[in-house]
Amino acid sequence: MNWIKSAAVREHCAAPDACPTDPAPTLYERLHHFAGGGWILILLLVLVAGFWIARPAQFGSTYNLTMLAVNAAILLVLSVGQTYVIVSAGIDLSLGAVLVFSSVASAQTMLWLSGEPAGTFGTTSGGWGVVAAGLAVAVASGAAWGALNGALVAIVRIPALIVTLGSLGMAVGLAQVLTGGVDVRAVPDLLVTQIGNGTLFGIPMLVVIAALIAIVAAVALHMTRFGLQVFAVGSNAEAARRSGIRLRRRIVSVYVLSGMLAGLAAMMSIARFSTTTINGHAMDNLSTISAVVLGGTSLFGGVGTMMGTVIGVFIPIVLLNGFVILGIPPFWQTVAMGAVLILAVWIDQIKRRTRQG
Amino acid sequence: MKHTRHAQRMAATIVIALLAATPAFAADQSVALVLGVKGSPFYQALACGAKAKARELGLQLTISAPDQFAADSQIPVVNAVAATRPAVAAVVPTDTQALIEPLRQLHQRGTRVITVDQTINDTSFVATRIQTDNEAGGRLAADAMNTLLGGKGTVLTITQPPGSAAQDAREAGFRAELKRFPGIVYLGPQYQSDDPQKAAEIVTSTLSAHPDLAGIFATNDQGAIGTVTGLRQAGAIGRVKVVAYDAATAEVNALKNGSIQTLIAQTPKEEGEAAMQAAATVMQGKPVDKVILTHIVTIKAGDTATADRYEYRGNCP
Repeated sequence: MNWIKSAAVREHCAAPDACPTDPAPTLYERLHHFAGGGWILILLLVLVAGFWIARPAQFGSTYNLTMLAVNAAILLVLSVGQTYVIVSAGIDLSLGAVLVFSSVASAQTMLWLSGEPAGTFGTTSGGWGVVAAGLAVAVASGAAWGALNGALVAIVRIPALIVTLGSLGMAVGLAQVLTGGVDVRAVPDLLVTQIGNGTLFGIPMLVVIAALIAIVAAVALHMTRFGLQVFAVGSNAEAARRSGIRLRRRIVSVYVLSGMLAGLAAMMSIARFSTTTINGHAMDNLSTISAVVLGGTSLFGGVGTMMGTVIGVFIPIVLLNGFVILGIPPFWQTVAMGAVLILAVWIDQIKRRTRQG
Repeated sequence: MKHTRHAQRMAATIVIALLAATPAFAADQSVALVLGVKGSPFYQALACGAKAKARELGLQLTISAPDQFAADSQIPVVNAVAATRPAVAAVVPTDTQALIEPLRQLHQRGTRVITVDQTINDTSFVATRIQTDNEAGGRLAADAMNTLLGGKGTVLTITQPPGSAAQDAREAGFRAELKRFPGIVYLGPQYQSDDPQKAAEIVTSTLSAHPDLAGIFATNDQGAIGTVTGLRQAGAIGRVKVVAYDAATAEVNALKNGSIQTLIAQTPKEEGEAAMQAAATVMQGKPVDKVILTHIVTIKAGDTATADRYEYRGNCP
C-alpha cells in the first residue's frame, strides 16, 4: 500500500521526473496518514461492529453482507470515476444522467438486435454477442458524454459545475426522447441471470466487476504517470502545465474515463434491475460526491485516495442497512445520515489542521 | 505506516470474524411495511392505517421507506428488510420490473410477500395484492367532469410522464369514459413530474391557446396544486372546473374554498389496514384472496364531511 502516499509529498512531485526517489515517510506523515486515511476506515468498522452487536443474526448474516456489497457495486463504479474527476479539481454532476442515457441506448440496441418488439415485458433470448454489443454502446455513449463534458470544461472553459449540470439535463431529456418516457423492459435473459444475479466462486458478479474496476483504477491513479498527472492537474493546474503536462488532454481524458465508467455502470444497472430506470439515479451524483469526500478526497483537487472512496461508498450503504434492520423510523435515518456526513468532514478538517501543524 | 496497516488489517480480521454468519431467526408476529417514499401524505396515511390495525391484531410492525420513489433507492431498503426475516413483508413496489428479484429473494428467505398500492409483473410468489382500480378512478373522474360541464366543453388532463402505471391507468380510464360524451372535446394529457410550478405553467399557457378551456383533470395532488395556482394566476378559478385525484390536505382545502370542484379520493388508510389484515391471515396459514381492491370515493364540492373523513392524514399517534 505504499502507493497511498501522503498528498503533501505528491504536490512536490507533480512532474514525473521531478522526484526520482521518494523520501521515506516521516513520523509526522505517518501520524497524519493515520488521522486521515485511517479514521474513515475506523468509522466504518465502528458502524459495522455496532450494528453487528445490536443485531448479530440479521446484520451479520451472509445474505445481508452479500446484499451490502451488491448494493454498493454500481455506486462504487460511478464513484471511481468521480474520484478521478474530483482529484483533478473538477466535478461531475452528470454521472447518474449519463448512466440513464447509456442504459437506454444500450437496452434499445440489445432489444433491436434480439428482434423483439419494443414494450415487451420480461427478458429476451439475446446471446453474448448481443450483450457485448450492448456493452459497447453503453461504454461508447458514456465516453461521448464524457468527451462533451471534458471539451466544454477544458477547451471552452465553462465551469465544470455548469457543464455537467447542463449535460445532466440533456442526457436525461434525450433518454426520455429516445423512449417516450417508458422504460425499456425487455433485456437479454443471459445478462440478468449471469451478470445481474450470477456469482463467481460464490461472489456476486456485480461485486466482482466493481472490485476489479476499483483495483485497476487505484493502480492507475496511484502508480502510473497518468495518475500522477491527474493529481498534478488538480493540485495546481498552472504548475502542471508549465512542467509539461498537456492540461487539456488530461482534463478531457478524466471526464471521458468518468463517462465510460458511467456507461459500464449502466450495463450493471440493466443487469441488476432487468429494466432501464429512467426515473431513478437522480441522487447518484450527490451520493458519489459524498462518498468521495467521505473518503478524504479534497473537493479542491490534488488530494485523495481510491481506497478512501471505497470506504466512503460503504458508509451510507451500511448506515441505511443497519438503520432499517434496527427499525429506526425513516425520517430519523435521513437526519442521522446527514449528521454522519458532517462528522466525517469534520474529522477531515482535524486531519488538515494536524498537517498544517 | 506499517503500524497503521497492521492495525487496520487486524481490525478487519476481527470484524470479519465477528461478522461470520450466525443463525438467523424469524419472529412469529413480525411484519415489515416498506412504503413507496418518505414524507408523502398518502404513504403516511397508509402507514397510519397499518399501525392502528397492527396494534389491534397484535402484530409487531416495522415501517421503512426509501428517499425517492425509485427502484434504485428502494431496493437497498428491501434487502435490509429481507435480512431481518420478518414473517410477512408488505411492500409498495416502486417499479413493476426491477422489484421482482428483490421480492423473490424475500420470498425465498421464508418471508410471505404482500404488494400494496402498486404491484409487480410477476405475482406468482405474491401472497396477495392490495390495490385500487386506477382505471375505474379515471372513469369516475370523467363522469364527474361531464356532470360539472353539463356535457359540453374543452377538457385537459395534467398527469405524470408515461411510465407510472397508476397515473397512466387514470388517464386511460378518463379518456375511455369521455368517448361516451360527444359534447366534450378532449385536448389530451400534458406532463409534469410532481412539479406544481410546471403544472401551473401548463395551465396558463393552455388557457392562452384555448380560451374556451372548460375543465382540467389532475391525476395527482402535485398536479392539482399547480392547476389551482395556474388558474388563480389567470383569474379563471371557478370558470374552469377542476377534477383532481387524491385527497391531500391542500386539495381538500381547495375543494372547500371552491378552487377544485370534485376530488377522486383513494383510501390509503384502508390499504394499510387491509395489508395488516392480510398479513395476519397469511400468518395463520389461512387462504387469502389473490387481489384485494380498496375503495375509491368521489367527493363533491360542499360535502365537507366526506372530505374531512377521507383527507390523507399522516399525523397519527
